[in-house]
Amino acid sequence: MFELHEVTKRFPGTDTPAVDRVSLHVETGEICMLLGPSGCGKTTILRMINRLIEPTFGSVFIDGQDIAQVNPDQLRRGIGYVIQQIGLLPHRTVEENIALVPRLLKWPQNRVSGRVQELLETVGLDPQLVGKKFPYQLSGGQMQRVGVARALAVDPPIMLMDEPFGAVDPIIRLRLQDEFLNLQQSFRKTICFVTHDMNEALKMGDKIAILNNGRLIQHGTPREILSHPADPFVSHLIGEDRGVKLLDLVCVEALMTSGDNDGANGTCVQLNDPAKTALDLMLQENTDRVTVCQGQNVAGYVTWGAIKEYVHRVGGDGPG
Amino acid sequence: MGLFTFILDNFYRIMEYTWNHFTLVLTVMLLSLLLWFSVGVIISRYNRLAGPVLGLGNLLFCLPSISLFGLFMTIPLLGLGRRSAVLALLLYAMMPLVRNVYQGIKSVDPRVVEAGRGMGLSPWQLLWQIQVPMAWPVIFAGIRITVVLITGMATVATFIGERNLGRLIHHGITRSHSEMILAGALIVSVVALVLDQFMGRLEKKLVSPGLRYQQRE
Repeated sequence: MFELHEVTKRFPGTDTPAVDRVSLHVETGEICMLLGPSGCGKTTILRMINRLIEPTFGSVFIDGQDIAQVNPDQLRRGIGYVIQQIGLLPHRTVEENIALVPRLLKWPQNRVSGRVQELLETVGLDPQLVGKKFPYQLSGGQMQRVGVARALAVDPPIMLMDEPFGAVDPIIRLRLQDEFLNLQQSFRKTICFVTHDMNEALKMGDKIAILNNGRLIQHGTPREILSHPADPFVSHLIGEDRGVKLLDLVCVEALMTSGDNDGANGTCVQLNDPAKTALDLMLQENTDRVTVCQGQNVAGYVTWGAIKEYVHRVGGDGPG
Repeated sequence: MGLFTFILDNFYRIMEYTWNHFTLVLTVMLLSLLLWFSVGVIISRYNRLAGPVLGLGNLLFCLPSISLFGLFMTIPLLGLGRRSAVLALLLYAMMPLVRNVYQGIKSVDPRVVEAGRGMGLSPWQLLWQIQVPMAWPVIFAGIRITVVLITGMATVATFIGERNLGRLIHHGITRSHSEMILAGALIVSVVALVLDQFMGRLEKKLVSPGLRYQQRE
């Protein structure tokens, strides 16, 4: 659990603060996405949590302790830090990169190598194939996986991620996001994740904190953000397809009517698919009713009316 | 074939000169690596010092070597001989060594250093685990230039009493003895090449293969 209390950062020689009185509370096991355009202060906020930058005013607390009281090197060794691929040390092999923090903490050699093997497997890399390689010999996706493995090395409860998947192509990015969410299911880290991509924020975040010009504009769950954008800036970030995005966040089950779908044909959507899948199927099949299945069995159906009604009910009162 | 007979006839004397030359260069290199490496690291930390220190190095480098040898010779504690020679050559090594150590460390991608800081490396660990290893290619370029430079410049130390290969060149010139000059010059360049090769080997050992790729790019 960590908390920012009225944190302000003013860089020397600038008129406006880079971060202006931001207060934020991130619960244990939660992914908090910091979202905003470049220069909005999101990276500065992230770097104040591991004291790479010291706030001008305000405090950061981790598990109730003011981090200004903690030795910065000790603090950073206990916080996982993932940045874009350049963060790997080019003169060290993959194994040595991952072993960096365990070695700083003076783990015995056999424990370090055991941990490195384990982590490489966790992030889906073959220790035999990539362990001895140097960063330049890896693909962008592999580098990011190594970066995540390195941050997880000493199993820190908190992780800071600065656009960790920003430098890979969109297809790999989607896969890395899915894999990371899977890992998070079992690890339950407390994560602060910087991004400028609304779709990434909606997909990865338990909460989203939207920033502009150093100020926190809105903080809430993806659904809260989509259904009640705080101001035109947030609406603009969300884009024109707010309704469709909302359908991405709700399961088919929530919109389903139980019972048989009369006149149904072969294709169906699954109970736990996003509602967007049902909409997509309607468009493809030119129908306003699709069957919902649970495994092989028919569970009910979703109608065009139900989808329309849901988007209107949940998202209807946003501005613009 | 006069060159060979000259070398064979004066074999022991030439061996003595070569040995003296070699040990002078080695002493200067060891001392200047200790000293100028540290100075390079320090000015990369305290940027305000960088300008004045590099300026001083440039100034010393531009002084004619023979005058520097001559000046030190007149200082009581230094006098004629090795101490003056070592000190003068040490000052000449300052510019290429300090500059390359400084530039090498400064050229390390700040984002990598920042990543290391974010992992919890202390300033000392950042220096030895990231900045210096990544600066090795540039630092070694400086060391290799310096070795060759000092080997050549050491010949001038013959004027303040060093019995080294410079003496062959100097006496050769006064006696218009071309074989003598040639022998001196050739052996000096062989000594320089051997030392350079040795540094090259060391460089291969120290520079990570992960960086060699970047250099080729």
